[in-house]
Amino acid sequence: MRASVNRPPTPDVGDTQEKQPTLEEIINIKFIESGEKERLMELLRERLIECGWKDEMKALCRAFVKKKGRNNVTVDDLVHLITPKGRASIPDSIKAELLQRIRTFLVSAAL
Amino acid sequence: MNLHLPPCFQTVFLALPLSLSLFRSVNTSQSYSEVQLSKNLQSTNPSLFIPQNLQIQYQFLFFVRLFFFNYSVEKIESLSFAITQLFISFLISTFFLTNFFLICNKSKPLSISINMTTGNPSYTSPKPCKHLADYKLSHGLSGYKYLQKYLKTTPPGRTSVEKPDTKIPRCISCDGIQGRLYFCLICSSVSCLDHTLLHTQSENGHDVAVDIERAELYCCVCCDQVYDPDFDRAVMSKQIMGIPRGKNGDESIGERLVKRRRLGSGVGQELVDLKISKHLISLRDRRAKSCYPLGLRGLNNLGSTCFMNSVLQALLHAPPFRNYFLSEGHNHENCRKRSVDRLCLACDIDGIFSAAFSGDRAPYSPAQFLYSWWQHSANLASYEQQDAHEFFISVLDGIHEKEGKSRNQSGDNGDCQCIAHRVFSGLLRSDVTCMTCGFTSTTFDPCVDVSLDLDTSNFPPTNIANKPTKPDGNSSMSTLLGCLDLFTRQEKLGSDPKLYCRNCQERRDSVKQMSIKRLPLVLCLHIKRFEHSPVRRTSRKIDRYLHFPFSMDMTPYLSSSIVRNRFGNRIFAFEGDESDISTEFEIFAVVTHAGTLESGHYVTYLRLRNQWYKCDDAWINEVDEAIVRASQCYMMFYVQKMLYHKANEDLSCLPISPLRDTFIPIPGCC
Repeated sequence: MRASVNRPPTPDVGDTQEKQPTLEEIINIKFIESGEKERLMELLRERLIECGWKDEMKALCRAFVKKKGRNNVTVDDLVHLITPKGRASIPDSIKAELLQRIRTFLVSAAL
Repeated sequence: MNLHLPPCFQTVFLALPLSLSLFRSVNTSQSYSEVQLSKNLQSTNPSLFIPQNLQIQYQFLFFVRLFFFNYSVEKIESLSFAITQLFISFLISTFFLTNFFLICNKSKPLSISINMTTGNPSYTSPKPCKHLADYKLSHGLSGYKYLQKYLKTTPPGRTSVEKPDTKIPRCISCDGIQGRLYFCLICSSVSCLDHTLLHTQSENGHDVAVDIERAELYCCVCCDQVYDPDFDRAVMSKQIMGIPRGKNGDESIGERLVKRRRLGSGVGQELVDLKISKHLISLRDRRAKSCYPLGLRGLNNLGSTCFMNSVLQALLHAPPFRNYFLSEGHNHENCRKRSVDRLCLACDIDGIFSAAFSGDRAPYSPAQFLYSWWQHSANLASYEQQDAHEFFISVLDGIHEKEGKSRNQSGDNGDCQCIAHRVFSGLLRSDVTCMTCGFTSTTFDPCVDVSLDLDTSNFPPTNIANKPTKPDGNSSMSTLLGCLDLFTRQEKLGSDPKLYCRNCQERRDSVKQMSIKRLPLVLCLHIKRFEHSPVRRTSRKIDRYLHFPFSMDMTPYLSSSIVRNRFGNRIFAFEGDESDISTEFEIFAVVTHAGTLESGHYVTYLRLRNQWYKCDDAWINEVDEAIVRASQCYMMFYVQKMLYHKANEDLSCLPISPLRDTFIPIPGCC
């Protein structure tokens, strides 16, 4: 159970030094470290439930499972099914609200 | 060969079996429906389900066969005689075979798919995949226990895996942080999805991983989520320990209620077994369309009393309620002897039942009942239009008041045994969870109906430019299931004022969630079709169309399902599944409203023997189900599926009303 015996191969030293963290990654790290990401995730979950998006996706998944049969569906299938539709159908108000929150955070984090 | 017996012998031999079979058919008709019901519970003896006419024929032929056989023992010579014997045997066997096939075909729609004894099958643990089984064989529970120290819970129930040294989980191979990350149970390495799959290929046996964000098992070979009760137990024990409890924790409330004997199924059986009337005779022709079912009778409008008539029609045909009153459940004599005042709503309802089921089809005026109800609800006593739901509640309250005092107040479980509560009373569970510490306070409230808000989903397909694919047309239509989802949804309580959390000893943000702890025999769903605008200080009726199903499975709205789902995808059973009460319901009455808040008209649609009838005060017509579906529902009455089918059988056995020809609606005074 300890990590010592069955470790995956150590990545080459050369690879890590060439990678430069992108701006997106820097922001992301800052987000997680400060705990803001978790707060925003909770807010997003709440908003998506309120507006019925979650029920929509649930209905899509149900229909898919009904069609395919309960034992022939994997979680990955469902994820691939609803990702494009889900991404496209998020209401603009939620997007705007979250963007606003992120902007506020960035300003306060003084990047 | 001489087959010519003296005529008296012949008549005796033929008359005897015929009379026996007729006699038997009269006696068995009574128990036909009960036998049907018992068959549906545990199927055994097929011979009872031969339809009556075929049964008689079968018996007749059997005796004829016996007769010939007896006779043939003495004289076996003739070939023609042997042939006739064979022919008759052949006839008998074909009759038996056809009956057998009829049974097989008939029993399919009648056999109930509800698994009554073993509970809800959808929550039995799914079989583990081969890889999970292998992992458990070789590692047992040690991996789960090791994981427990890395589990982090956030209120109100989300668990995630967090290694203490790394704030941000990264894939060990590509350093990525996007997407789902998985924690290998064998080597404790964290990888993104692609590298998890590669990891399995490179390292033999590293099949089982845990989704970091959700603390759920994943099999890398099957590429699918898997479930293990032991894993869920390990996660939940950590989680439950993490959530603080008060002195009488949730567990004690749950235990106390689980130990109580279930009220529903016991009472339902008892009411169902009560025979409707002793002098019922069987009907050969069950599909007599020219005859309306018994009990269908118009009610005259006594001056804006459509609200009363509509609810009375629904009560008249609620199977357990109807069975109780028609089988002298409420004894008029004893009631008058026992109480000083003559006021008893149950007695008047008994009177209405007698009138409705008397066979007389002329519209009835429930004046006595109206007068009694006015005495009971003095504040509603007027000729103004009233709300049907208010009336329904006040009637049940009136019945309870009288019966609750005279009968034994607490039955087995401390629940009221009056007929109103036995039929309509259920239990609602309300959980209020503190968002900071996760402490949940649970309360249980009895209810006789469930009032639902309309789910006006704010999911309008307005911005077409932004969405290339329009979602299914149903997204903007309100459905009853949507309303129930809304009812059982977690609702953030207002921050003004915040509720006091016992554990934090401070006012905190909290979340409330409702669920149904115990379903009643008859479920009344009331749609709150009014909205109050605090700005304009006015109330307004919402005419929005609500789609409602004719059959409904209430499992997702039970407390066991709702509480289970709060903690992610778990199989862990919380406080016992309510598995002994059936969750499948069939609709039998819809009370619809047309008009505004101040003035309108109520109409009830009744579903008897799978045919819909429109009851508009004194006028009753058969209608198509499409009309019912399109109506604007206000109160919907659902009864447990088993009781619905039993009620249909009972209706089929009732005698045809003497006024047998086409139903002539007689308009009453209005």
